[in-house]
Amino acid sequence: MGFLRSSDKAADGGEKSKWVVDLQQLEKTYYAGACSVQALKPVDIQIPYGIFCAIMGPSGSGKSTLLNLLGLLDQPSGGHYILNGQDVSRLGDNTLSEIRCTQIGMVFQSFNLFPHFTIQENVCVPMRYAGFSEKKMQQRAADLLNRVGLGDRLKHKPTQLSGGQCQRVAIARALANDPPVILADEPTGNLDEKTGNEILNLFHELRDSGRTIIMVTHNPEYENVVERTIVLHDGYITRDISNPKSRPSVTSEACTESHIP
Amino acid sequence: MNLIRTVELSIWDLASHAFRSFLTGLGVVFGVGAVVAMMAVSEGASREALRQIEARGIDNIVIRSVRPSTDQSTENASTWNAASYGVTLDDMRHIRHDFDNVRSIVPVRRLRMSVYNKGKRSDIQVFATIPEFLQLSNSRVADPRGRFITDSDGENAVKACAIGIRAARTLFGFNDPLGQNVNIDGKYYHIVGLFENPFGSQMMGGYDLDNVIITHIEAANTLHGKMSTERKAGSFERVIVEADFLYIRVGDQEQIENTAGRLRTYLEKTHPQNDYEVQVPYELLKQREASQRISTIVMASIAAISLLVGGIGIMNIMMANIYERTKEIGTRRAVGAKKRDILTQFLVEAVVLTSLGGVLGVGLGVGLAEIVAIYAKMETVVTPISVIVSFGVSVCVGVIFGTYPAWKAANLDPITALRTE
Repeated sequence: MGFLRSSDKAADGGEKSKWVVDLQQLEKTYYAGACSVQALKPVDIQIPYGIFCAIMGPSGSGKSTLLNLLGLLDQPSGGHYILNGQDVSRLGDNTLSEIRCTQIGMVFQSFNLFPHFTIQENVCVPMRYAGFSEKKMQQRAADLLNRVGLGDRLKHKPTQLSGGQCQRVAIARALANDPPVILADEPTGNLDEKTGNEILNLFHELRDSGRTIIMVTHNPEYENVVERTIVLHDGYITRDISNPKSRPSVTSEACTESHIP
Repeated sequence: MNLIRTVELSIWDLASHAFRSFLTGLGVVFGVGAVVAMMAVSEGASREALRQIEARGIDNIVIRSVRPSTDQSTENASTWNAASYGVTLDDMRHIRHDFDNVRSIVPVRRLRMSVYNKGKRSDIQVFATIPEFLQLSNSRVADPRGRFITDSDGENAVKACAIGIRAARTLFGFNDPLGQNVNIDGKYYHIVGLFENPFGSQMMGGYDLDNVIITHIEAANTLHGKMSTERKAGSFERVIVEADFLYIRVGDQEQIENTAGRLRTYLEKTHPQNDYEVQVPYELLKQREASQRISTIVMASIAAISLLVGGIGIMNIMMANIYERTKEIGTRRAVGAKKRDILTQFLVEAVVLTSLGGVLGVGLGVGLAEIVAIYAKMETVVTPISVIVSFGVSVCVGVIFGTYPAWKAANLDPITALRTE
């Protein structure tokens, strides 16, 4: 498949877990002075390689907390988080940054591109932190942008692009260091339905190339599009359903106008 | 992250709001400009002072005969009404024998005679001294066909003289002065040589060395006696001064002050009438340097305050910059930037800003120094060291005032930062 997977980035050593994300009794409590709020009750979630998974729930349900924990932006109060075979629940800031850099790709609702940079430079940013050589980095950024259908606009600034195109740049950036997991926080929230579907399609293609996509969304319609839906409520998992037939439905609905070859 | 690339990116970023960056760096520009200009003025002044002191005389120690203020000059029957004062050749011999630090001692007597140029008196002065004077005054023979005065001139009381190049031009124009005669108070002296002083030095009393005639002191004493007659606007005055100056060169510069002290003690005893003055150009130089240092410190403090203000400006704008770019920082952290990377990025940005300010400031300082040189008619010298120091200081300002904002940026909570709009 196309998305420049250079190698299978599973855990080192012989014993390979089938879970890319393995949460064991993971919990998060916030403290503010004397009172404490347990935003995420101890949860067990196992997500295998190569699926497209959605996390849903109303505001305050704990899904943002879960996403922050998954993205290693926050540290759990208890339990374990095994990412791609490595326990990452008790690590220092530098190591966490390195893992964020190489193991996780982040996609945001408002794209979070760097407005002064060209889109090629934008895609280069994670590779810079990973220590790529300048030439290799520029080449890979161009390749990735080509794959998301923006190969002819490498020198454009994000302000010159539409929302859907910006999100494609953001996805290319998330793929820069070839991570096994893509975390997407409401990736279609700022897009119209058609463009949103195109983005979902892109995620499906990524899934097909062996990556795991975990998407936080408000949109209940997407339940039919993904293979697994985890619903949170008040910090508990209230529903965790699998829908293995998701893919055909999205392709038939929205794939007709996809740019992706 | 590659440092060169970081610098490049930070220049981009600064260029993307060029005017704001310029205003921010202005404090550093003025600070550095003030430092460079101040140091140039100060250096120019101290070189000027040094030159004045050097020109005044020939290094080391000068004993100068002065007319005692009380005018109790010894009256001598045989030289009626002649004022006799000052250091004598006996003093010279004594110093030469008893002071082991003294490497050479040269007496100079101003003959107070007029040099006639085509029947008119000129302003050229005649001095009588000994052959060592040439070397001691750092002068040299200007025409290889001639020579300086010699001891045999003195022993034989020859009317021979050496002439400074400017005096020669005054008297003879473009004709060859060698072998000519010059009319000194009605006596014709044979010109045996031409000399020049490449440093433009002056004799004590402000006589330009290139504009004097020099003859041997013994010959002068034999031919004219020890009494001189000074002509002042219509009046005559007779004086007996054996040596107007004694130039003393000390073997080691470390010994100058010590020797000067001993000379003063010796002269206090032998010349109670206080008809001398000991001048040490080196001491003068040190005094000048000390007062120069004080004014340099004062001016440097003023310049430092302006750099401080510049630095606070940098810090302020860096803080504003960080608030403005909180979301960018959060995103960078989310895609894998370490705290260190963020710290480096903002620190480099601050240092690039102040360094650019430093470069502009050096330019401004050089310009200011030029302006001062042209309009204030002062010598200014921009030394490489002042440029290096002030540029170094501007880099330091960036580091000092950029560290806190950069540290603050690095320690932003990524979640909060990402949520900021």
